[in-house]
Amino acid sequence: MGKLEGKVAVITGGATGIGRAAAKRFIDEGAFVFIFGRRQEALDAAVADLGPNARAVKGSVSDLADLDRLYGAVKAEHGSLDIVFANAGAGSQLRLGEITAEHVDETFDTNVKGTIFTVQKALPLMGEGGSIILTGSSAGTTGASAMSAYSASKAAVRNLARTWAEDLKGSGIRVNVLSPGATATELAKEALGEEGQKVFASMTPLQRMADPTEIGAVAAFLASSDSSFMTASEVAVDGGLAQL
Amino acid sequence: MKKLEDKVAVITGGSSGIGLATAKRFVEEGAHVVITGRREKDLKEAAAFIERNVTTVVGDVSHLEDLDRLYAVVKEKHGHIDILFANAGAGTIAPLAAATEAHFDQTFDVNVKGLFFTVQKALPLFKDGGSIILNSSVSNVLGLPGFSAYAASKAAVRNFSRAWTLELKDRKIRVNTMSPGPTETPALETTTGLTPEQAEQAAGQFASQIPMGRRGKPEEIAAAVMFLASDESSFITGVDLAVDGGMAQV
Repeated sequence: MGKLEGKVAVITGGATGIGRAAAKRFIDEGAFVFIFGRRQEALDAAVADLGPNARAVKGSVSDLADLDRLYGAVKAEHGSLDIVFANAGAGSQLRLGEITAEHVDETFDTNVKGTIFTVQKALPLMGEGGSIILTGSSAGTTGASAMSAYSASKAAVRNLARTWAEDLKGSGIRVNVLSPGATATELAKEALGEEGQKVFASMTPLQRMADPTEIGAVAAFLASSDSSFMTASEVAVDGGLAQL
Repeated sequence: MKKLEDKVAVITGGSSGIGLATAKRFVEEGAHVVITGRREKDLKEAAAFIERNVTTVVGDVSHLEDLDRLYAVVKEKHGHIDILFANAGAGTIAPLAAATEAHFDQTFDVNVKGLFFTVQKALPLFKDGGSIILNSSVSNVLGLPGFSAYAASKAAVRNFSRAWTLELKDRKIRVNTMSPGPTETPALETTTGLTPEQAEQAAGQFASQIPMGRRGKPEEIAAAVMFLASDESSFITGVDLAVDGGMAQV
């Protein structure tokens, strides 16, 4: 029996990369998964691959009406929700001196405001035994050139979990942060190129980038009762990148 | 397939509490375990509880010759090690003004020196690609009156995992720290020097400081150790995994 048997999960940014790998793993463990993303084509491809225990809802986490539609669909089909993996994120790069208001707004709208409302709007459907997982980043505790808005937004995400563990006291709902390091998603491989991937691998104590399935495995741990005494924690899945 | 099928695991301090629950879980997941403890009677009871695939070695991690004996048994019986949970710890309570040299020495002998050599002496038997888990404590980042030596020793443990991550990376051995919060184990009553009434009071006080409103169960800590021992955590190394109900996180 899978460790998420009969559970209902929402994964934002679930059509590709880490979200997609987590969706596959959750389904393998017995869950029904709603993936949420902005591109219909990517969602269709994901659902075709993930099979009958996946549904797609198109939308953006920075648009509250889209989130209402997402949870409306969950409620209509399942009535309740056990797991939220608030994973959608944005991260373009601009050095200090070049930063624009649009860049800051876009980064924080998706990573911070989007995460807040992804979780807040899920709560009416959640109860005892629920698990919320927020995608942070090794960038949340390190400095990297041109990443100031992104890393600040991910530090904010890490701190949301601290407050929410207190706000959710007594509800039986846990909230933790999963902070990946360099991960070899299709998007990252394309953006970094061969050379860029080598640089990230060499910076990482494990001397390689993560496979998205390795991040999905940790998301499944945090979603399951194996992490039942963990809340407000941050689990770094970064090959040691930000740990030493 | 089980997560630790045919893996060989060594667990120090395996006769009670977190160590025992972890040994039980490892065996359920398919591993063979070798557990150590200082009292033969407790080890025998632990072995009976674990039921199968368990070997016991009496010994104290602060005695290096005991560690040599432990690893000689492991070598003879299994030939190698895949997983090490360096879990044995000591923690009597003593306020700064009243602490004795013996208190300080015992705390650091077991928690720091004992753990250091537990890992060092395991290395010749360690399979490349294995997993080492060091038991630290939420106190590694918290101030708790009466626990200063303990907390400092556990901060030392957390930092071992940083250097060792680098020292062992070429062998693909992952090294992580796991930091439990207050847990429902016999230790609070048996090792801290508290009376049963004081222990009960302390347990209640801890629960009130934990966002989850309760202490952890040994099985919950064991589940997290299992995660770090298995390939589920294949991209996790050098971390301090807090399993503390939020106690040191908020």
